[in-house]
Amino acid sequence: MDIKVLGTGCANCKSTIALIDQIAKEKGIPVSLQKIEELREIMGYGVMSTPGVVIDGKVVHAGGIPSRGKIEQWLAV
Amino acid sequence: MNARVNLPEAREVCPTTTRRLLSEGALLVDVRERAEVEQIAFDLAGVLQLPLSELELRFDELPRDRDLVIACQSGPRSLKATYFLMFQGYTRVSNMQGGLVKWASKGFPTRGRVPAATGAVAAGARCGPSHVSATDSCGTGSLAVPETECCVPASGSAQGASSRSPACC
Repeated sequence: MDIKVLGTGCANCKSTIALIDQIAKEKGIPVSLQKIEELREIMGYGVMSTPGVVIDGKVVHAGGIPSRGKIEQWLAV
Repeated sequence: MNARVNLPEAREVCPTTTRRLLSEGALLVDVRERAEVEQIAFDLAGVLQLPLSELELRFDELPRDRDLVIACQSGPRSLKATYFLMFQGYTRVSNMQGGLVKWASKGFPTRGRVPAATGAVAAGARCGPSHVSATDSCGTGSLAVPETECCVPASGSAQGASSRSPACC
């Protein structure tokens, strides 16, 4: 599973990455987690509110730290 | 939700070029929030106020068949708005570098309290902030023009701006 977290380095973006990483490890799900910080690339997904989360090329979340439940749902697919 | 679009680098223009574009029919879009606009605003006829916080919902109000120059207080938010509009398929859109702060530092018309120019913008007697490449600042890749000649005087008209060398913004 390829996961990208979009954000220009704000605290919420860092927390989002850490949370996804933590839950993936807890569940033993292998993920490729990448941080996208360049504005042009972020806006290439049309995301105005960060952090954004992109899974396998699709934006699944924009704005605020996603809940644990939401992340678990993403990883369960 | 959205799949990725490979966006090209945003077109960026300085305030002087902005004035020329406006004189040629471009629309200036101020994406600062309402409270900011109440403090100080571009003193131009026909400026469209569209706060960044409302852009996602209201971008369709912007014409696609007219040049748009997007501006904010100092540049970063308008750059984001510019990329967002490019994502939405707008092709005639530019970001005004340095925003209202740089506009005001050149003596161009504003209404309200003029913000203090700071950092790179304050240093920008020439076209672009020092951290921006010459290409980015003027769009020509050349800053061979002496700095004092780079931009029109504060009282210069858009007509005057357009008569300058294209290497100058």
